Amino acid sequence: MPFGYHGRYLRIDVSRPSTSLAAALSKVEGRGSVERVPLEETVLRQFIGGSGLGVRLLLDEGTASLDPLDPRAPLIFAFSPLVGSPLTTSAKFAVVSKSPLTDRINDSLASSGFAIAGKSCGCDAFVIVGRAPELSVLIIEDGDVRVEPAAECAGMTCEETGAHYRSRLGVDFRIATIGPAGENGVRYATISHDGRHAGRGGSGAVMGAKNIKAIAVRGTQRPEWADRREVIAISKDLSHRSFGPATAKYRELGTATNLLTFNRFGALPTRNFQSGEFDQAGNLSVEQLTATRSKTRGSCATCTIGCEHIYSVGDGSVRLEYESLFALGSLCGVGDADVVLRAVQRCDELGLDTISTGGTIAFAMECVERGWLEAPWLTFGSGDALLRAIDLIGWREGLGDLLAEGSRRSAVAIGHNSIAIAPQVKGLEIPGYEPRALQTMALGFAVGARGADHNRSGAYEVDFSDKVDRRNVTLEAVRHAIDTEDRAALMDSLILCKFLRGVLEDFHGETAAMLRSVTGWDVTAAELRDTAARIVAAKQEFNRLAGWTPAEDTLPERFLDTPLPNDRSASLSRARLDALVAEYHRQRGW
Amino acid sequence: MHVEFLGVSRERAGVAELHVEADTLGRLVAALAAQTPGLAELIVVDRLHPSLAANLNGDRFISDPATPLGDDDRVLILSADVGG
Repeated sequence: MPFGYHGRYLRIDVSRPSTSLAAALSKVEGRGSVERVPLEETVLRQFIGGSGLGVRLLLDEGTASLDPLDPRAPLIFAFSPLVGSPLTTSAKFAVVSKSPLTDRINDSLASSGFAIAGKSCGCDAFVIVGRAPELSVLIIEDGDVRVEPAAECAGMTCEETGAHYRSRLGVDFRIATIGPAGENGVRYATISHDGRHAGRGGSGAVMGAKNIKAIAVRGTQRPEWADRREVIAISKDLSHRSFGPATAKYRELGTATNLLTFNRFGALPTRNFQSGEFDQAGNLSVEQLTATRSKTRGSCATCTIGCEHIYSVGDGSVRLEYESLFALGSLCGVGDADVVLRAVQRCDELGLDTISTGGTIAFAMECVERGWLEAPWLTFGSGDALLRAIDLIGWREGLGDLLAEGSRRSAVAIGHNSIAIAPQVKGLEIPGYEPRALQTMALGFAVGARGADHNRSGAYEVDFSDKVDRRNVTLEAVRHAIDTEDRAALMDSLILCKFLRGVLEDFHGETAAMLRSVTGWDVTAAELRDTAARIVAAKQEFNRLAGWTPAEDTLPERFLDTPLPNDRSASLSRARLDALVAEYHRQRGW
Repeated sequence: MHVEFLGVSRERAGVAELHVEADTLGRLVAALAAQTPGLAELIVVDRLHPSLAANLNGDRFISDPATPLGDDDRVLILSADVGG
């Protein structure tokens, strides 16, 4: 077994009534409620960890055609060889499943102590199947796995649940939880850990379908590194460089600073993508937010960047990112910063993905505006309506029961060809990048394995460079889009935070050196390029097994053949997008 | 021409906009290093640090120091990494 790994995963069936499964684990290896399944070194080298390993395990389960909320559908927590090392930003884990929002692959990442503690349980992944007979907590402590009733946590927020189990089990347990949204099967519910979220695609609903309110982990098992001295040397150098200009934006201002930049370029999605400019953007700027309320900073375990900017709101506080700010601000036409901060906070409490929540509510607001949906209170710009809609969604009450299905399913129910204005690809709501003004990103959204996604395709970087004309891209953009997608797949499998990418001057060479020092493999930059493409292909293979067809690699009608109202030169024809997608498929060999 | 600062460059410059006399991008960047000390660590002679990008009139991104600039141009200085 290579260094950096345990060489096995735990396959846990939570539907078994046992309260302590340690005996089963030790006496009936490979059978019973918990299986300790060996991982071959060739598999680890080909898929590394995180998203890559999770997708491979999901494929091995052979469940691509299942309903994602079926008890047999796996929910996978995958760690990586770098977790537990001092390499900055490496304390991350991937949650991989079939998405109840898209019915395609879903891999969401989150950070911090859960990753370190989970891997310290002596395995490289948890594969969770089944459905507990009642709302439960899954406790994994070194080799011992228990499922215990959690009825007292029903309806608790993510933060309350985490605090409850830290108090009950001990502060050295790391807790991942779902909120009411996950319990209620909202298709874009999150899994939360210490205020961070595996946010996109509805992994919280998958956990809720298993009747698991929380997962508590604690362990003592840490694999050795192949070259400890080299691991420490690389870590020191990387940490030193991470304090430099390449991460200044994240450290000094946070991603929320993107809002004014996108607005300046006419690329800030506003009022359900009806415009790329928001006349109240200044109210939501970092400068204004900082001038009118207190702010603190934080960071994940092992991170030297410290990107978290936490703003006070009411009696509490909330971590604010650009994506939440745009989705619950400009996209819904809300320019009151207090309301937007409260909306973000409420999503975090309920366990809702802020992008899909904002996207679905903005879509509903436009449907009301057009007379397609009877909910006169739900209007653009209304803070009260925004906050009311979020609560209705989290508890699946009234109109919220429909909107909890996401914009694509809601559009089907509403009719009027409203699918043309539903801001989604494959069912996943579009992040804060106007596709007509950023056309390499438009391609990235269209072909994304988990739908419209800025974390799996960094193609916006290409649009904000001299490599392309962002409002009139050519087929030349395709290879750039593929490159950003491959890099993201690699970072999500190693796992390293993408905010570190500007620090890595020789991306593949430096990441290969990290992996060599931890695992002892003679891995090269060229091998990692192949590995990245293999991981992207594995996601595509899962989608193909789940029913993918080339026709779904596209954008909603709204974005095609109609210029952006605030910038008539930002126009994307269907023919151009089709050509870009076809070239992408050709270069991928699909 | 006018220079607009966005994000980190605005924070470092301490202003949102400046008027600068320069006929090429390289001369503009060198002038910014002299006029806005907070930006100096993000400028190497006549080039921006890779963490910053320059855009001409909201249209095309420019990096060649020899890129000609006119009096009516607006140059935007922003973070090269605009994602989140």
